[in-house]
Amino acid sequence: MKISLNWLKRYVDISVPVEELCDKMILSGFEVESIEDLSATMSNVVAARILKLEKHPDADKLQICQMDVGGAEPIQIITGAQNVFEGALVPAALHDSHLPNGMHIKRGKLRGLPSDGMLCSGEELCLKEADYPGAEVYGILILNEDVPAGTDMREILHLNDIVIDFKITANRPDCQSVLGVAREIAVALKQEFHAPKPTYTTVGGDINDYINITVKDYDLCPRYMGRIVRNLRIKPSPDWMKDCLRTAGMRPINNIVDITNFVMLETGQPMHAFDLRDIRGNQIIVRTATDGENITTLDGKEHTLTPDMLVIADGEAPSCVAGIMGGLNSEIKEDTTDLLFECAKFRRDSVRRTARTLGMRTESSARFEKGVDIGGVGYAMDRALQLIQELDAGDIVDGVLDRHEELPAPRTLKVTTESINALLGVDVPEATMADILNRLEIPTTLENGLLTCTVPSFRDDIEGRADLAEEVMRVYGYDHIVSTPMTGSIVRGKILPERRNTNLLKEVLIAQSMQEISTYSFISGKALDTLSLAEEDPRRQVVTLLNPLGEEYSVMRSQLITSMLTVLATNYNRKNAAVRFFEVSKLFRPLSLPLTEQPEEIPALSLGLYGKDEDFFTLKGIVETLLTNFGVNAEYARSEEPYLHPGRQAAVTVGETVIGTFGEVHPDTAAKYDLDARVYVAELRLQPLFEAIEKVRVLYKPLPRFPAVERDLALLCDEEMPVAEIQKTITKAGGKLLETVTLFDVYQGAQIAAGKKSVAFSLYFRSAEGTLSDTDIDPVLKKIFARLEEKGCTLRS
Amino acid sequence: MKEKLEALREKALGELATLETPKELEEFRVRLLGKKGEVTELLRGMGALPAEDRPKMGQLINQLRGELETALSEREQSVTALLKEKRLKEETLDVTLPGTKTKEGGLHPLNIVLNDLIDIFQSMGFDVVDGPEVETEHYCFEALNVPKDHPARDMQDTFYLAENLLLRTQTSAAQARTMEQRKPPIRIICPGRVFRADEVDATHSPVFHQVEGLVVDKGITLCDLKGVLEQFAHEIYGPETEVKFRPSFFPFTEPSVEVDVTCSECGGKGCRVCKGTGWIEILGAGMVHPRVLAGCGIDPEEYTGFAFGIGLDRLTTTRYKISDIRLLFENDQRFLEQF
Repeated sequence: MKISLNWLKRYVDISVPVEELCDKMILSGFEVESIEDLSATMSNVVAARILKLEKHPDADKLQICQMDVGGAEPIQIITGAQNVFEGALVPAALHDSHLPNGMHIKRGKLRGLPSDGMLCSGEELCLKEADYPGAEVYGILILNEDVPAGTDMREILHLNDIVIDFKITANRPDCQSVLGVAREIAVALKQEFHAPKPTYTTVGGDINDYINITVKDYDLCPRYMGRIVRNLRIKPSPDWMKDCLRTAGMRPINNIVDITNFVMLETGQPMHAFDLRDIRGNQIIVRTATDGENITTLDGKEHTLTPDMLVIADGEAPSCVAGIMGGLNSEIKEDTTDLLFECAKFRRDSVRRTARTLGMRTESSARFEKGVDIGGVGYAMDRALQLIQELDAGDIVDGVLDRHEELPAPRTLKVTTESINALLGVDVPEATMADILNRLEIPTTLENGLLTCTVPSFRDDIEGRADLAEEVMRVYGYDHIVSTPMTGSIVRGKILPERRNTNLLKEVLIAQSMQEISTYSFISGKALDTLSLAEEDPRRQVVTLLNPLGEEYSVMRSQLITSMLTVLATNYNRKNAAVRFFEVSKLFRPLSLPLTEQPEEIPALSLGLYGKDEDFFTLKGIVETLLTNFGVNAEYARSEEPYLHPGRQAAVTVGETVIGTFGEVHPDTAAKYDLDARVYVAELRLQPLFEAIEKVRVLYKPLPRFPAVERDLALLCDEEMPVAEIQKTITKAGGKLLETVTLFDVYQGAQIAAGKKSVAFSLYFRSAEGTLSDTDIDPVLKKIFARLEEKGCTLRS
Repeated sequence: MKEKLEALREKALGELATLETPKELEEFRVRLLGKKGEVTELLRGMGALPAEDRPKMGQLINQLRGELETALSEREQSVTALLKEKRLKEETLDVTLPGTKTKEGGLHPLNIVLNDLIDIFQSMGFDVVDGPEVETEHYCFEALNVPKDHPARDMQDTFYLAENLLLRTQTSAAQARTMEQRKPPIRIICPGRVFRADEVDATHSPVFHQVEGLVVDKGITLCDLKGVLEQFAHEIYGPETEVKFRPSFFPFTEPSVEVDVTCSECGGKGCRVCKGTGWIEILGAGMVHPRVLAGCGIDPEEYTGFAFGIGLDRLTTTRYKISDIRLLFENDQRFLEQF
């Protein structure tokens, strides 16, 4: 909320420097967004009188002016303007002056003759007709002031003011007004607060003879008040009012419109004025719009309304979109003679929704959205009428139409000073508490440590002890809050198993040179297509955002692969030679579609790597190491993910459940990410890992006392035979003497028949009872050979 | 015979001095002292001597043998030492050549900072809890005293998935869930991912991270909040850091405060980082609103509490002086490996 210092000074004595004022306000809860010194926009520009005017001897279009600028001697300024004349009072920018349009004026010579400055046009001073009469005339601005030459133009243009932009928190709609902020300043500076006390006289008559007001929907419009003013005398507002409006960023229009704007800014209560002759049927009906109803608003735009929008209608059609903008047909015009003032409270979410739907956010709607004081409606109306009288703008008809249901009674709170101090942890003296609350205009009495507070309707936010404690503390000063150590039993905080296990998981991966990444939880709806997933693939069941920032971020991810591929592609395209990435995040799986309840959030891991040393088996090694660390006994078998290389991918199965797949990315999918390298990805669900590790109990095994006996086996088998199956056969047949089976060679080539491969293992036998001899091992080997032969494996001679 | 021995001694010792490898020494040993060596042969040849000369001669030969053995052993030692010296000399490396490195993995910077936070608060007795990212309006708003007509509930700020379901806009959503499940004393932090409909730019991201803190117990005061946050600030920004409260507003706390710390860049003197104020705003906090407590079945007359919300992304970008928040989600290896 931008408020000028001069305006504030109408209600409270501010004698401290503006910086000190702002510091005090920040400490009492009002952040300052900016401080703008209006006088800083121009310097060294004065009202100067033209004493003598001559033609420039060497230039047809230039005139030499002898100017009285308030000094002992006149100065000479050369101008190219033709509208100047002897005796005229004009703005003169003297040597070393700055203009609001950014110009820096210095002494100089024009066609050989010295010029000690520049005469200014309205445009050069950034003025509009509304700011100063004649400002938009082509040529030098002719001042119609009765001031001595040399008067600072800032004084004439009322620029000796400072505008402070206060940030008003959502709980203080009462401070969306000059009076609200002035009240707070008075408290912060310990000064008296002088709010206007509106009085006026009426000219008789009866409002009921002019208008009838009906509120159809008290839910959307809890209060609606109307007054009639006749015999309007429409003219420009006085300077003081124009200045106030300008500093708040509003353009002065005429006395009637200006009064409604001034009262809104001053009290925070928006007002509207209707041209009474345009209210058909002498009826004001506050109702929701009918479907398809139209209105052309003050800004000339036509809007089609919907039945959830509140309008102020006359006997026939909407005259105003409630709380947002008036209709063009009933606006105040130059020849308006009688008006209806509206002062109302509309429901804030209704105004917000309508304003957003229609794309109109006005000073009025902003205030209704934040909430206006239902008890302040009458005060604002009285203030407007007082100004009507003060500005001699019209005659006030007797009678007020005030439509509302039962108004809320003032809230009375009884709170002990002790309980307030108990919440704060400090000892604010009880008399100080009462004093602070009274200065905030929350009438409070103190008796035996009990505060009895009558909360005014404009402080709707105050509901109990905590709110009163805050009011007390922000004025008393938060610097009184000291640090105390929390008491209670000394315990180390606990961490959930899932988080602890996730940390372990990350440790294992980092130990394998993997770098963690972090990507958005929502992805493009089209991302799934890059994986060529089948229509019936469950991952196509995605949770969709109703209002995404764009297609790119429109669905919650059901897999982590596309995010990983995007990151791999970013790195690859930036010529990062080799990477190993992982991400731990959640997959979102809807329990039903359309969504009716929270989707399942499944913890998952993705791995992604590329580089000259990477292949299917480096990735598999990482997966295996991870699973081993978590005590998971997994099996690996061919899988059929459409986005992976058909011959280089595997599913990881734990028990009966497939917990993930990994492999080389299919060239078609890679191409969709502009990856022309071999890249490898994996995705695993983590819950099975977390469950497995909870069962792991690490127990010491005695170190072997007897040596192992090694036997190497070279086998010949069909090339399709999975090595894992051979290994399983050996392990099973080997019994308890066989300690380990290690693959050390797979060979296909010249010495091997086509369609066959050679597979070589090292077998280690060991017994805890003694050193093994051939006689111990031979029967075991025989059994192994027999089983292998059943599988079609023969010993290579 | 004696002369013969003397000549052999002379010759053998002379030869020994010229031998330079273990192999030559071994040959020498075999040739002279081996089973068929010259000295052994001499002993054997003693049978040809007169019996009375034999002891004397035997003594002399054994003396020679002993002498040669000692000399050989000395020579062996010096040859070994020389060889070792030679080998070590040959093996000299250019120690300025680069070492062989194992590529390092690492955590994402956000999680490095998060782990620090968890450590700090865990040691102060805060349990670490998690909550769902897809929340109901109830836990994200209503239970936190954000009424239906509050602007924060606008579609403009919140991503909705269905009528009543949304992506949580704040980890505060975990407050009510926790208070419904646990009885005071409660001391938790809830780190997590949150979402707001902000367009992506250098300082905004629709996905970001918070750490919510909540304490509920008998007799908890605003001063206790300051005590905890001061501890946190000292750990994160250094032990000299001061903490200041400014009044503010959040629907779920009352009183609400913005928390500033002295600028760690200038120590509070005022600089570019703190825009000359000497203070940096780090988080919002306050005493849990009585309505929030009551809504979760906790009697606000009996219990009080405080809550705070730390922005993890900003804490991370300030710690590492990262100029653009987008870097955190772009995941360029050259960025990630710096942490």
